[in-house]
Amino acid sequence: MGASMVGHVTVLFFATARTAVGEPRLRWPCDPPTMTARTLVRSLAESYPKLEPTLRTSRFVLNGRYLASLAVRVRAGDEFAVHPPYGGG
Amino acid sequence: MSVRLARGRLSVSAAMRELEGPGLGGVVLFVGRVRPDVTPRGRVAALEYEAHQELALAGLSELGRNARTRFGARRVILWHRLGRVPVDEASVIVGVATGHRAEAFAAARFLIEELKVKVPIWKAEPARRARPRQPHPRGPGGRSAG
Repeated sequence: MGASMVGHVTVLFFATARTAVGEPRLRWPCDPPTMTARTLVRSLAESYPKLEPTLRTSRFVLNGRYLASLAVRVRAGDEFAVHPPYGGG
Repeated sequence: MSVRLARGRLSVSAAMRELEGPGLGGVVLFVGRVRPDVTPRGRVAALEYEAHQELALAGLSELGRNARTRFGARRVILWHRLGRVPVDEASVIVGVATGHRAEAFAAARFLIEELKVKVPIWKAEPARRARPRQPHPRGPGGRSAG
């Protein structure tokens, strides 16, 4: 049986999320292929415990659209952004 | 409408020029500047701003459209700095021109308050370089940032 091809999601981190992860962007395995935004957020929290408090107060953006629900499917090639509470001005 | 995310200084005079036009009897310009607040880390010397740029520009444009619809704003500017902004420099300029003052004040207030909570822009105090401690003959004191 051959190795399965795992695609990737690009995850963008801003502000306190970037500080917690230490990188502005990561290529994140899209595994399983049926991953949802909720699954992705959980896996990020597990891999980066310092990110977890920020994730609880963040908004999420998938391919430039704000997510109203984390039930949405995330696919290989998608761009997913973590937006901590805003603070311009 | 003019929306901008700028790495360089924001010009108040350029902002005023954007708000000129016939019959615009009420012009309100809000300029937000970096304060030298005192924090547990010392006095703030600068703030660092970052944005999710595509979404921030889209968000600023949407706010401008809302100001037109809700307050009849005929000219709107929403300019925000990115990168390092030293104390006393403008980090944001919001400007509105309308027929009369009441709508201009209301629209400007609406724009700056909405910008702070709905546009993906963040600020942070830049990390400070550790300096070697040098004893001062008169002991500690003085300003932590110039």
